[in-house]
Amino acid sequence: MHEQSLFASVPVHQHHELLQQLAGLTAMQPRHCLERRLIFKAYRKPGLAGRVGATQDLQQADLQRLNKMLNGNMYYTQVVGPVSERDFGSTAPVDRDIQMAGVDDSKPSGTSSPSYDYERQQWKLEFRDIPEAGTRSAVTSRLMSSATLPRGDVVQAMNAWGYHFTTEYLVEGDMFVLNDIAIFLHRVLHYPGGDELNTPRRQLPALKDMVLFEKSGSYVLQAFIIVQDGSNQETMKTASQHLFGLREQLKSAVLLEQADRLSLDTRAK
Amino acid sequence: MSNLTQEQIKVLEQSRQRLVQLTRSLGSLIASLNQSDPLPPWTSLQSQASIISNNLISVSEQLSDQRDLLSNLVAYPGPEYPGRTQANTLEQLLRTKLDPRVEDWVARGRAAGTEPAVGPSSNFASDPDAAHKPLSEAELAHLWEWAPLEANQEARRRNWGGNYTLEEREAGIENVVTGLRRQLEDDDGSEEESEGEEGDKEEMDVIGVHRKPGAAELEFKIASHHPHPVQPFVPLDLILRHMTTGRMP
Repeated sequence: MHEQSLFASVPVHQHHELLQQLAGLTAMQPRHCLERRLIFKAYRKPGLAGRVGATQDLQQADLQRLNKMLNGNMYYTQVVGPVSERDFGSTAPVDRDIQMAGVDDSKPSGTSSPSYDYERQQWKLEFRDIPEAGTRSAVTSRLMSSATLPRGDVVQAMNAWGYHFTTEYLVEGDMFVLNDIAIFLHRVLHYPGGDELNTPRRQLPALKDMVLFEKSGSYVLQAFIIVQDGSNQETMKTASQHLFGLREQLKSAVLLEQADRLSLDTRAK
Repeated sequence: MSNLTQEQIKVLEQSRQRLVQLTRSLGSLIASLNQSDPLPPWTSLQSQASIISNNLISVSEQLSDQRDLLSNLVAYPGPEYPGRTQANTLEQLLRTKLDPRVEDWVARGRAAGTEPAVGPSSNFASDPDAAHKPLSEAELAHLWEWAPLEANQEARRRNWGGNYTLEEREAGIENVVTGLRRQLEDDDGSEEESEGEEGDKEEMDVIGVHRKPGAAELEFKIASHHPHPVQPFVPLDLILRHMTTGRMP
């Protein structure tokens, strides 16, 4: 899959107005989203790389491919978990069994009392490649892929795949959909007290205690289209034309632009 | 006159060419009306209409110039004409009277052509029936010549600034026949106050004026004005970089 997107920086004083403009443009109410995002970084497992194999040709070809897989480019990747406002500033559930009985599959948290259960948190692995270089159209286009992970603690599974946990933050924002374009107006929140922890948090602090990453409280506007078949030039072109159409419509409010390619560099060095 | 001279054949050929052009441009207008969805822009319709009208003019000139020749010509089938297979065409060619539909059109055209010749002699007001008849071409032109000057003179005599004149207000505005369906407000006096308020509340600021190359009008750049603008401290690049790798700027 390919993701084509345009970005804009939205100063905080313009946020309310832009929300209304987008609601008018898309004819829908904003859908508020809160997402935990865990950043994982790939690392080389000691012992696997560079091992000398047997001399037979067949094995050598296999080994070469394995080595290439293990020693090729390594990437940062994100694990995203949707949370709701009730999950913040709550304690872990006291009795797991009672909660399991009444739990709704779509909601990770308990229904009766405000509680956040890390073991029931949904996760999604989201991989983004570095944006393509030298594309003719002025949109950020990058290879992407996502996969649903098992609920609960993902760190062990990620470790097994050769990723270790780096840091986590929270994304707060509103989502709009206009035809095939998704519009996400969001900003980054940090947990209070810095990130000394080497594992994802099991409990979330109160939402009002969260610290803005960008101190003025500005937002990032991302308009994106996900194209299933990135090799089809025709659909890729249509998608970028739709994005340009949106850029024209929003021209007097915000200036949507291609992002700096290196700022979206997911390669781990 | 037994045989046509070279000259006369040329005249016929020319008429044919002009008629072909006319039918072609009519055909293309019909096709563009039928096929294009949404309708073609009015500029293209107008240019097509003017092409057709030019074609009509050239056909009509040709027909009236060569009136003597064309009215004397008689068509008859030659011995080698395939009369059995092309009977329909032959009948069309040998018609001496017009098609009934076409006769109607011609009659209407003749009537429209003779009407204005009668019109201008009669005075506007004297004829009691004239009020219900559409004005003729010359009358319309006369009216358009007269009206702007007269309206302007009338306008200069008055002090404008409301929906009703002083005379009308003195006589009571309920009695005025405006001919409008909507209700006019008599907003004398309150006007200035409200205008002043609007000026203060105005949230648009003109932040730039520039002239577009080739355009006669000025273009105003309007920005919504905010009492407490806060520009972001961290540029977009760094925010995106942080979101991608978790690295602090």
